[in-house]
Amino acid sequence: MSATAPVAEMAPLELLEGSTAIARAAILSNCRFFAGYPMSPFTGLLENMAKLMPAAGGVCINAESEIEGVNMVIGAASTGARAATGSCGQGIALMQEAVAEAALNETPLVIFNMARNQQDYFQCTRGGGWGDYRTLTLAPKDVPEAVEHTQLLFHLADKYRAPVILYGDPLIAQTRVGVRLAAPDLEPLAPKDWALDGTMGGTGKSRQVWTWAMGKVTDPGLGPDGHWRAVADKFEMIAAAEQRWESAYADEAETLVIAFGSAAKFTEYVVDELRAEGHSVGWFRPITLWPFPGAALAQATRSSRRVLVYELNAGQMLDDVRQFVHDRDTVRFIGGVSIHESGLSYGPLLDAPVLRDRILAAMAQPTER
Amino acid sequence: MLDSTSEHELLILGIGGQGIQLIGKTLAQAATSSGRHAMLAAEYGGEMRGGPSQATVVIGERPLRSLPILASAGSAIVMHDRFCGVVPERLRAGGLLVVNSSIVDPAAAGDGYRVGGLPATDIARELGKPQTAGFIMLGAFNALTGLVTHEQLVDAMRSLLPPYRIEHADSNAAALLAGSDAARDLELSGTVAA
Amino acid sequence: MSVINTQTPPTGPAQKVAEFHTPLILGEHGLCPGCGEPVALRILLETLQELNLVQRTIGVVGHGCYGSFVRIMDIDVLQCLHGRAPACATGIKRMRPDTAVFTLQGDGDMVNEGLQEVIHAAARGENVTCILLNNGVFGDTGGQQTATTVLGQRTKTSLEGRDAEKHGYPIRIADIVASVDGAGYVARGAVNTAREVMRTKRLIRNAFESQLAGEGLSLVEILTMCPTGWFVTAPDGPDYLESSMTAAYPLGVLHSRSAEAN
Ligand SMILES: Cc1ncc(C[n+]2csc(CCOP(=O)(O)OP(=O)(O)O)c2C)c(N)n1
Ligand code: SF4
Ligand SMILES: [Mg+2]
Repeated sequence: MSATAPVAEMAPLELLEGSTAIARAAILSNCRFFAGYPMSPFTGLLENMAKLMPAAGGVCINAESEIEGVNMVIGAASTGARAATGSCGQGIALMQEAVAEAALNETPLVIFNMARNQQDYFQCTRGGGWGDYRTLTLAPKDVPEAVEHTQLLFHLADKYRAPVILYGDPLIAQTRVGVRLAAPDLEPLAPKDWALDGTMGGTGKSRQVWTWAMGKVTDPGLGPDGHWRAVADKFEMIAAAEQRWESAYADEAETLVIAFGSAAKFTEYVVDELRAEGHSVGWFRPITLWPFPGAALAQATRSSRRVLVYELNAGQMLDDVRQFVHDRDTVRFIGGVSIHESGLSYGPLLDAPVLRDRILAAMAQPTER
Repeated sequence: MLDSTSEHELLILGIGGQGIQLIGKTLAQAATSSGRHAMLAAEYGGEMRGGPSQATVVIGERPLRSLPILASAGSAIVMHDRFCGVVPERLRAGGLLVVNSSIVDPAAAGDGYRVGGLPATDIARELGKPQTAGFIMLGAFNALTGLVTHEQLVDAMRSLLPPYRIEHADSNAAALLAGSDAARDLELSGTVAA
Repeated sequence: MSVINTQTPPTGPAQKVAEFHTPLILGEHGLCPGCGEPVALRILLETLQELNLVQRTIGVVGHGCYGSFVRIMDIDVLQCLHGRAPACATGIKRMRPDTAVFTLQGDGDMVNEGLQEVIHAAARGENVTCILLNNGVFGDTGGQQTATTVLGQRTKTSLEGRDAEKHGYPIRIADIVASVDGAGYVARGAVNTAREVMRTKRLIRNAFESQLAGEGLSLVEILTMCPTGWFVTAPDGPDYLESSMTAAYPLGVLHSRSAEAN
């Protein structure tokens, strides 16, 4: 099952830097408000939005902090506009209170985490905010997929009235690739009759966007107990409905390599090479980091003798893999922390020859079964 | 030329100020304009003058499977010897290596590649435009590979110039042409390993 | 001014004072007796009615005792995070420039937690009206010291009275905002006497008119009684406000773009 917002095949190929492609995809998805605070490699997206939004009739604000930026976006989204912000690592950390708030007061918004590496997996999938909420997170493997995911995310945010995340990285932000851009063609959504427009004042039916959902004295709401249960139920429903993944050769391979985002693209490349040389290896790639495609992983690993986890961090997705894999004893971690000397991008571990060596070394080890 | 499934991967190596990123962008843009899939990946932090600068370009007929950090390349353009350690590491045996022989000794490339030395810095100086050495290399490389037409390359170069640099268009075009002419007389040396 | 004729009966039926409330208030507030915040709410909502803005207004309410007004005010409302109302109001106003947008914040909300939001919103010249209910304490959490607690005032976190050496000085946020170029109108009022209530209502009206004229951010700081947080009786609240706060926070118009232009 792949995450594709169908894009008209006829749109011409354009050579675009990832940040530009994502900005244009967002605007084609009717995003009309963007606020952010510079932080590499997210900065390019902010600059593109600043450049492109005015012509689209939208607004882009260079906010004074990530906290301010994300709260502006909550305000814009509460009026029904499609709105987004972004940052990475520390900047996303500053937004956590507001992300939880948006989840609980049900304002749809998109957060572009143009991360410096893969150390934000826990941050995206566990979150640092308060309450029973989750953040649906899509991790594209390259620029063309980031375009699709961007369009899909605006749709899903509105569909579920929830904050959602794109997990990007420097390779997605800064690589120039030929992409086709067109307005997405996705299922129609219900009108936003909850959105604040100011018109209902004095009618007794004025609208509220309120985490506590107490309603009015004349028309009580669910209150925190009822509302937060309903929100929790909604996330459970999303967890069941929105798992996305991709895999190849899982049924026939002795060794299955699990990776997400750019690392998954590298994995796919190296596995293809190894298979061409006769090795029994396949790959599995979560496309949604939350909801984690656990059932699919369990299924894919039923006959694996080795499950290798390749991620550019100390082992974060590893927790989810261990939770869902068919046999925990088959899991080996072949990733690690690896940072470019600038601190702003991947280090040498994200490289096809290095990955190839690690897979081959793991395959030389005896298996548990 | 490319068949429908293969991808052409090019490494461009040099130092900041030699126009490494610009010639990479020109080739990728020319390929895109000709309806093909292209990718241009820049090495992070390579923009400073005098520091290492590296770009990779991949061109194919279909959506690309090549990685933004190339696993290996079929060809390379080397503008400066200070930063060509990548070549023995990434250029595949039998690959095409075009070196700026004004600065780099083609013989140093060793066996295993098809090597063409082009005194690009000298030719650029003769043209009176020393900063166009990169376009001379690109013109020669494209003539040797036929990845795009010469016209597509010139159009792409023009389309990428910002308005305040448009006066460089003619000298850049002259450099592309000089490179392409020089390639005609170029003898590719080096033994081709099987 | 005509003198009321006591020889003939009044033309309208007699009304109890309690019935003089705007229809925008849907029910009883649950705040303490003697609290100044419901008074401020009432003149705010009356002003919206008088300016005929009721069906084009969006309010953004922060966290403090006034947060419970969301349940009784018949206006579209975003209840936002503590301190972030000016940022949310920015997003709202930019997407719906035809609405009148206001924030309702306390001193803890605006001057402690969200200090930078209001200053930056003012600097950007956002056309929104910020209403600050300044009672010099975190009322909602039980009467601790805020950034506006006046020197000498006892709170649960300044038990011997606020001492500049130990606790720093209070911040006069309205003066700061008035000095920011993007501000359109800044004034300070109080609700401790009937006269100040009427004057403050005019300040609120001016602020909304400034917003509608696109002059930039407008701020009305309203000194409100918090007998509970001040540890005084409800009847003593107004006098305590007079004696403790008005010296530190002089009332009046601090900045008016339109007045200064004339
Ligand atoms: C991030 C955050 N920190 C703390 C609180 C707890 N809190 C709720 S109301 C409040 C005090 C608000 O004081 P003020 O704005 O002055 O309003 P008052 O109750 O005095 O009217 C605090 C600290 C919160 N809701 N959110
Ligand atoms: S604690 Fe103070 S501010 Fe809160 S309701 Fe009571 S009097 Fe009003
Ligand atoms: Mg207070």
